[in-house]
Amino acid sequence: MIEDNSQILNNSDTMVEETNKLREHSIAEFFKKNRQMLGLYGKLRSLTTIIHEYVANSIDACEEAGILPEIEVKIVKLGEEHFEVHVIDNGPGIDEKNLGKALGKLLAGTKFHRLIQMRGQQGIGASGCILFSQMTTGKATKVVSGNNGKPIYMEIGINVEKNEPIVTSKKYLDKEFKGLAISSEFKEIDYQDSAQNALEYLKRTAIANPHVTIKFLDPFDKLYVFERAINEIPKKPIEIPRHIKCVDTDTLLTGAKNSDAKTVVGYMKDAYDRVGDKFFDDLQHELGKDIKIKDMSKRELDWSKAEKIVKAIQKTKTIAPRTDALIPISEDSLTASIKNILKPETLYPLTRKPTAYKGGYPFQVEVAISYGGESGRKMKDGSIKSEIMRFANRTPLLFDPGSCAITNAVNSIEWKRYHIKDFDNEPITVIVSLSSVHIPYTNAGKQAVADEQEIIDEIKLALMTAARAISNHISRKMKHGMKLERKKMFERYSYELAYSLEVLTGEKSKDILPKLEEIILKRLELEDEQDEEIKDEIKEKKEINKTKNELEEDIIDEEEQEDKPKKTKSKTLKEFIE
Amino acid sequence: MVKNENSIKELEKLGKDTLTMINKKEQPYIELPVRSLSNIFFDEKSKTIKMGAKTSKRQFLNTAHTRKYTQTIAIASEIKKIIKEDATISIRDLYYALKHTLKGSKENLFEEQSESDPLIEDIEASLGLLREELNLAASTKGVIAGNLTIKDGKDVINLNKMGSGGWGVPSNVEPENIEIKDLDAEFVLFIEKDAVWKRFNEDQFWKKHKCIIITGKGQPARAERRLVQRFNKEFKLPVYALMDADPWGFYIYSVIKRGSISLSYSEEKLATPDTKYLGLTISDIDKFKIPENVFMKLNDEDNKRIKEMKNYPWFKNKAWQSELTLMKQRNCKLELEALSRKGIRFITEEYLPNKIKNKDFLP
Repeated sequence: MIEDNSQILNNSDTMVEETNKLREHSIAEFFKKNRQMLGLYGKLRSLTTIIHEYVANSIDACEEAGILPEIEVKIVKLGEEHFEVHVIDNGPGIDEKNLGKALGKLLAGTKFHRLIQMRGQQGIGASGCILFSQMTTGKATKVVSGNNGKPIYMEIGINVEKNEPIVTSKKYLDKEFKGLAISSEFKEIDYQDSAQNALEYLKRTAIANPHVTIKFLDPFDKLYVFERAINEIPKKPIEIPRHIKCVDTDTLLTGAKNSDAKTVVGYMKDAYDRVGDKFFDDLQHELGKDIKIKDMSKRELDWSKAEKIVKAIQKTKTIAPRTDALIPISEDSLTASIKNILKPETLYPLTRKPTAYKGGYPFQVEVAISYGGESGRKMKDGSIKSEIMRFANRTPLLFDPGSCAITNAVNSIEWKRYHIKDFDNEPITVIVSLSSVHIPYTNAGKQAVADEQEIIDEIKLALMTAARAISNHISRKMKHGMKLERKKMFERYSYELAYSLEVLTGEKSKDILPKLEEIILKRLELEDEQDEEIKDEIKEKKEINKTKNELEEDIIDEEEQEDKPKKTKSKTLKEFIE
Repeated sequence: MVKNENSIKELEKLGKDTLTMINKKEQPYIELPVRSLSNIFFDEKSKTIKMGAKTSKRQFLNTAHTRKYTQTIAIASEIKKIIKEDATISIRDLYYALKHTLKGSKENLFEEQSESDPLIEDIEASLGLLREELNLAASTKGVIAGNLTIKDGKDVINLNKMGSGGWGVPSNVEPENIEIKDLDAEFVLFIEKDAVWKRFNEDQFWKKHKCIIITGKGQPARAERRLVQRFNKEFKLPVYALMDADPWGFYIYSVIKRGSISLSYSEEKLATPDTKYLGLTISDIDKFKIPENVFMKLNDEDNKRIKEMKNYPWFKNKAWQSELTLMKQRNCKLELEALSRKGIRFITEEYLPNKIKNKDFLP
């Protein structure tokens, strides 16, 4: 993350000259002037960001301590665009010595520049919010931390010039408390009924984190409780070295200079993954005669050589990156949380196998389609619209949907093919979760995933499989509805038929009617049996573990069918009538 | 004993057969002859259209058939009631007699008369009974005038004293009901349009040219066709058709001469194969110097019908093929009234006498 931040600084035109000075003097000063980098802009967005920063920190802390998280969030309206935010967790708390520094100093977290799949990856998050609170209200943030012994209370502010915490009112409390409670006041923020508000953020967080219980009291005193659906904390992600394809020129140059290794090859072997002898042979082949990589000492490496080496690495064949650092939500967990929160009529979760983008960044896609029940978004006029829930490492992405690869992938699906006639207006929630040690965000706002083709392809393939399962459900439901309709229609006409036959034959219509009813029921039962057979066939065809190629073949099949829709349609219609 | 006792037996048999299927716990169905172009043939002997042997099943539990099937049986039962009461009703009466709401719905057993009419024809075709034998009467519209006397029940009607309106043709013109007497005519002129018929009646064309003039006001009903057939068969009168020079006119001629496709089961009793087509034709345009500004252009429907008619076996002769080709080539059609452009009496005083004198007919 330090690398990332230095990049931001380098790229910021207005800041170029001052960069070094600022970094020396105060990162806090810099973020005070550039708070949009923390997502703290826009009145609604700012509040959602604050909730995100506090809640993500809490969940991460609980998980690391092996505690099932239980988070309470309260937003209290104090005045016009003036709110107080409380977040209380049941985690391990932070010990007295580190508490001030952890929250009152920007970039003081422990999570940055590790190649590990985590929610925050920021370190500036919570302290950024405390800075924001101080900037808009002049007040410090109240914190209580408890683990063993008496909980400690303190008020934390930030010395912006020095990027140092200002701790005041420190005291021990005489009550039982285990966890971290934080309370900040903010102005220039607002809470509204919106698909991007704190409630929506927390609901989605609960969906992607079924092991978390979240209680939320909104500013109108309405309480929402999202109970945990599973009692299992996700496995801890392990830290892995970067894949060699992830290297860039600056990192190679400075990294090698600062390392203990004597040669460039030595540094690469220490710092990167998938660098065996075969790799260096192939790399040398790509480099040609100008650069002899194997003998190159650190001192020989300059910018232009580093640039050439990085270019050659991109062309060199490598072993795919390790994917064991990825911890997906899992199909079972998604099923549990969606059933718990969206109570759907039907749902289909799917976790794809992990793969990589740009050759070196491992990622994994999970999707779930939830249909009916409380799926979709209920509008004020009572109508239901479909909704897309985007997640990156279990964190909901609420903003910038239009520029996000996930949204684009979902919208590129031809939903009509899957009996979803009017996607925008169906009770349907499409959940797409991306897990990666390095999510390619479009910008520092971290709300939209960049258009990496490999990622888009994976999402589309997963959605197509899930959509097919949902489509089967919908078509069965439609069939069932039609069957009831038909039964009613047959019965209506039975009365007429029986009466006419009475006129023609003298046989009483009340004696004919039960026989007709029997014939009708016999016919409908026969159709039910046939339907069951079809259902079994579908089950056998479940294609969760199909490879990309197999799925693509299936999709081509579907497209071919699409070309001659009349034929298939009339056939099924005919079968139906017969 | 009521009239048409035999029809009652046939209807009751239909009911019993249906009940047998139900008692066997099978879905009931009715087997019906197919009444479409795919199931007709041209009978060289009678020179009329006849129905083929193709049948189709109309089933109660086939969603697409349920309504029609129930309606068919309901019509059969209603007809039985009518015959029992020894009444004759119109097909419109029958439609209203059966128009009621289905139990537990807002749906009517029949919504339009156009639903019941073809089902009556289905019953006729499947039981081999004619409409008259089912005590049903079609609404009538045709009119006739000429030198003859008709005995209709107890009434004796002189058809040369019918004034400007002519005599309305009743729905049943079978010999038991209608007796033809004192016929003094040399041919029958079957005119497509009422307005043209009126011109011929006003000019007393039938007196001057010793003929009978009749119109069905468009597509003729069975009664007009049956009556014309009787003039032809019983009195050996030639029959000439005077139609618009358009595909619809040609088609009406085809129905008069060879029969209609949907009634193919009874055409032997309705069609008059000796009928000749007198006019109007496209070739008349040059012969009678008809000015171009009275032509009309063909539309898509016309072109489709021309294509169909070219394939009718009875149009597969040189004269009709070239007439149809000519119509297509010149892309025009012509109404009988267009001849008024050449003078109001041109049609009665020049066009027709000329045509008859020169025997200028199409077969």
